Amino acid sequence: MSKAAVDVPMKGGFSFDLCRRNEMLVKKGLQSPSFLKTGTTIVGLIFQDGVILGADTRATEGPIVADKNCEKIHFMAPNIYCCGAGTAADTEAVTDMVSSQLQLHRYHTDRESRVVTALTLLKSHLFSYQGHVSAALVLGGVDVTGPHLHTIYPHGSTDTLPFATMGSGSLAAMSVFESKYREGLTRDEGVKLVTEAICSGIFNDLGSGSNVDVCVITKGQTEYLRNHQLPNPRTYINERGYSFPKKTEVLLTRITPLKQMVEVTEAGDAMEE
Amino acid sequence: MVVFLGFANLLLTISCNLIIYLFEQVMSMKFDTSGLESHHGMLFGARDELSSGLSAAPSFDIPNSNDFDCFQKEAIQMVKPAKGTTTLAFIFKEASQSVKKIIEINPYMLGTMAGGAADCQFWHRNLGIKCRLHELANKRRISVTGASKLLANILYNYRGMGLSVGTMIAGWDETGPGLYYVDSEGGRLKGTRFSVGSGSPYAYGVLDNGYRYDMSVEEAAELARRSIYHATFRDGASGGVASVYYVGPNGWKKLSGDDVAELHYSYYPVEPAVVEQEMVET
Amino acid sequence: MNSQQIYYIFDLCKSPNLSLSLSFITMAKQHARWSPYDNNGGTCVAIAGADYCVIAADTRMSTGYSILSRDYSKICKLADKCMMASSGFQADVRALQKVLAARHLIYQHQHNKQMSCPAMGQLLSNTLYYKRFFPYYAFNVLGGLDNEGKGCVFTYDAVGSYERVGYSSQGSGSTLIMPFLDNQLKSPSPLLLPAQDAVTPLSESEAVDLVKTCFASATERDIYTGDRLEIVILNADGVRREEMELRKD
Repeated sequence: MSKAAVDVPMKGGFSFDLCRRNEMLVKKGLQSPSFLKTGTTIVGLIFQDGVILGADTRATEGPIVADKNCEKIHFMAPNIYCCGAGTAADTEAVTDMVSSQLQLHRYHTDRESRVVTALTLLKSHLFSYQGHVSAALVLGGVDVTGPHLHTIYPHGSTDTLPFATMGSGSLAAMSVFESKYREGLTRDEGVKLVTEAICSGIFNDLGSGSNVDVCVITKGQTEYLRNHQLPNPRTYINERGYSFPKKTEVLLTRITPLKQMVEVTEAGDAMEE
Repeated sequence: MVVFLGFANLLLTISCNLIIYLFEQVMSMKFDTSGLESHHGMLFGARDELSSGLSAAPSFDIPNSNDFDCFQKEAIQMVKPAKGTTTLAFIFKEASQSVKKIIEINPYMLGTMAGGAADCQFWHRNLGIKCRLHELANKRRISVTGASKLLANILYNYRGMGLSVGTMIAGWDETGPGLYYVDSEGGRLKGTRFSVGSGSPYAYGVLDNGYRYDMSVEEAAELARRSIYHATFRDGASGGVASVYYVGPNGWKKLSGDDVAELHYSYYPVEPAVVEQEMVET
Repeated sequence: MNSQQIYYIFDLCKSPNLSLSLSFITMAKQHARWSPYDNNGGTCVAIAGADYCVIAADTRMSTGYSILSRDYSKICKLADKCMMASSGFQADVRALQKVLAARHLIYQHQHNKQMSCPAMGQLLSNTLYYKRFFPYYAFNVLGGLDNEGKGCVFTYDAVGSYERVGYSSQGSGSTLIMPFLDNQLKSPSPLLLPAQDAVTPLSESEAVDLVKTCFASATERDIYTGDRLEIVILNADGVRREEMELRKD
C-alpha cells in the first residue's frame, strides 16, 4: 500500500470505513446501537402574510423520553426555518450544514437567501446518501419571491404545499389541517391552527409530546415562539417531599493539594555514553 | 389415558382416531404427560379444562405454530423469564447441606433452583406432591435416589422443549444422606458435592479448596456461606441472600440467611483508609 | 393445499366444537412467521403494609405509537381480599382473568368461602405455568390481605415464577419505578434469618402518596404510561378506590 493513501487526511463528508465490518457484525447477530429518534409532530402552513411552522418538543429513545423539551425548529437563515423529524443527530447536522452554506452564499451575493436554495441544498445532500441520512423536514420561509413551504423526505424527494405535516404524528396533525385549513388565514388564526395540529399530535401520538413550539415568518420579520403552549404540566408533587439517605461511607474528608510542578533541566544527553 | 395437547386452548381427551391423526399431521408433536397425573380418578368425573386441574394437573398448551423452536425463541425473548443464580450442596461427615435459592420439598428433602425460576419452582412443587403421594401409598418416605429419578424422568420427557432446570436434590433417607444433581438436559448424577448456576465456577473454586469429609456442622456451614459469597462477588447475575440449610437425620434446618452485601463487610470490614501523606509546604 | 388436507378438514367440520379451527390450519400454512403477541404497555405497582395493601395501575392501553384507550382498567378483583394488576398483552390478560375467575367460582362452590390471597397466588402461578410453552404475555402483581389481615404482594414473571415481596412494580414503567421503591422502601428479603418483617413501614396515606409520585414520575419519561391512575386500597374496612389524572401526551 502506498504511503500517501494512508496519510492523506480525509476531505470531508462521511466515513464509510466500518460499514462492511458493521454489516458483518449485524449478520452475526450483534445489535447495532439505537439512535435518538424524534418521534415527532412537525407542521407548517402558509397564511396571508407568510409562513408558520410548528413542532412538539419530545425526543424519544425507544419507549423512553430522552428530552422533554427539545427544539425541533431549526434556524436556516434569518428568513428561513426548518422543522426536523427522524434521527435527531441527522436533522441537526443537515440543517446546520445547509445553514452554513446559506450564510456563505449570502456573504458572496449580499442578498437574502431564497427558500428554493435551501431546498435544493437539502435535497441534493439527502439524495446523495440514499435515505441513510434519516431526516424528514418541513422547510418554510419568506423570500423575495414570497412565502414558501416545502416538505423533504429522507431520500431527497420534495413537495411544495400550502400546508404540510411530517413525523410520526403527521396523520393526527394532517387531520386537523385537512378539516380546518383555508387560504388567507390571519396570523392569529394561523398560529391557533398550527397549535391545534401540534396538540393533536402530542395527545394522539405516543412519539410526540410535551410542549408546542411555533415560528411565524413574515416579510422582513421572524417570530420564534418557543414553548408557545405548555399543555402538559406535571400532575402530582408530594408536598412532604422525599429524602434520599446517604449510604456511601465517607472515608476521607481531608483535602490534599496537588504537588507543585517541578521543572527538570537535563544536564546532558543521557543516551550519549 | 392418552392426552393430546392444546389446540386453540382446547384440551382434547377425545379418542376419535381421525382427529388425533389430523393433529399428528399438523404438529406431529406429543409428549408424555404422565408426570402430571396423580394416579387417582377425577373427583366428579369432570372433563372440561377448568375442573380437570382440580385433581390432576391440566396439560400444557402448545402453540399452533409450524416452527415450534422459532416460536419458543421469540416468546422467551419477549417474556424474559426470571433466572440467574448460584447454588451448591455437599455431603460431609454429619450430613448434607445446600445453599441459596432453596425449595423445601418436604421436611427431609430440599431442592436447589438454578436456571428458569418458574421451571424450578413448578417442578419442585410437583415433585413435592409426588413424594407425599409415595409416602401415603407406601407408608414410608421416598428415597433421595427415587425422588431425584422422578424429577429426572419428567425433565427427560420434556427434553428439547426449552425447559431450563439445574437442580440438586439433597435429603436424608434410610440409607443416610443423599445428594443428586439433575438437569433439564436429562442428566442425573450422584455425588458428594456440586455447584450449579451462572456463578458455579467461582463457588467450586472455594468449595473444592475447603472441602473435607470430616467437617463439623459449623465448619461446613461457613464453607458453604463463603463459597456462595465469593460466587456472588464475581458473578454479576448472582446476589441477594445466601441461605444455608443443613439436612440431618431429623430433617432439614435452616442455619442462616444473610444478605451477601452485608456478608461482604463482615468478611472484609471497612477500615478507615490511611490518609494520604500531606504535602509539607516549603 | 393438497387433497389429503381437504379431506381431513372436511371431517373436522363434522365435529361442531372444532369447526372454527378450519381457518386456523390454513392460516398456519400460509404464514411462515406466526406472531400472536402484541404489547399494550402500561405500568402496575403494589405495596404491602402492616394492615393494608395498595394496588395501582395506569389506565392507558396502547399499541406501537397509538393509544387504543385512555380509560382501560388493568386492575381486576379476583377475590374479596385479592386484586391483580396486569400489564403486557391485554388480550392474554383478559383470558387469564377469565380463567382465574372461573377457577375461583369453582373453589367457592366446593369450599363455600372466598379464596385467600396466598392461595390465589399459587393458583395464578400454576395457571401461568400451564402455558409454559405458549405463555400468557402478561406481567402481573397480585396484592391483597393474607389470613392474618396483613398486606401481601406477589410478583410474577410471565411463566409463573413468583415470590412474596413487600412491594413490586411490573410493566413498561417498572424500570423507572423499581429503583425508586427500592430506595424508599428497601424491605428485607423473606429469605433472611432471623426473619424480618417484609411489609413497608409506611402508613397507608404515605404509601398512596408514594404511588402517586411513582406514576407522575414514570409518566414523565415512559411513553406507554399515562392518562389516568387507578389506585385500589385494601384494608380491614374493605376496598377503597382513588383516582388521579396523569399526563395525556
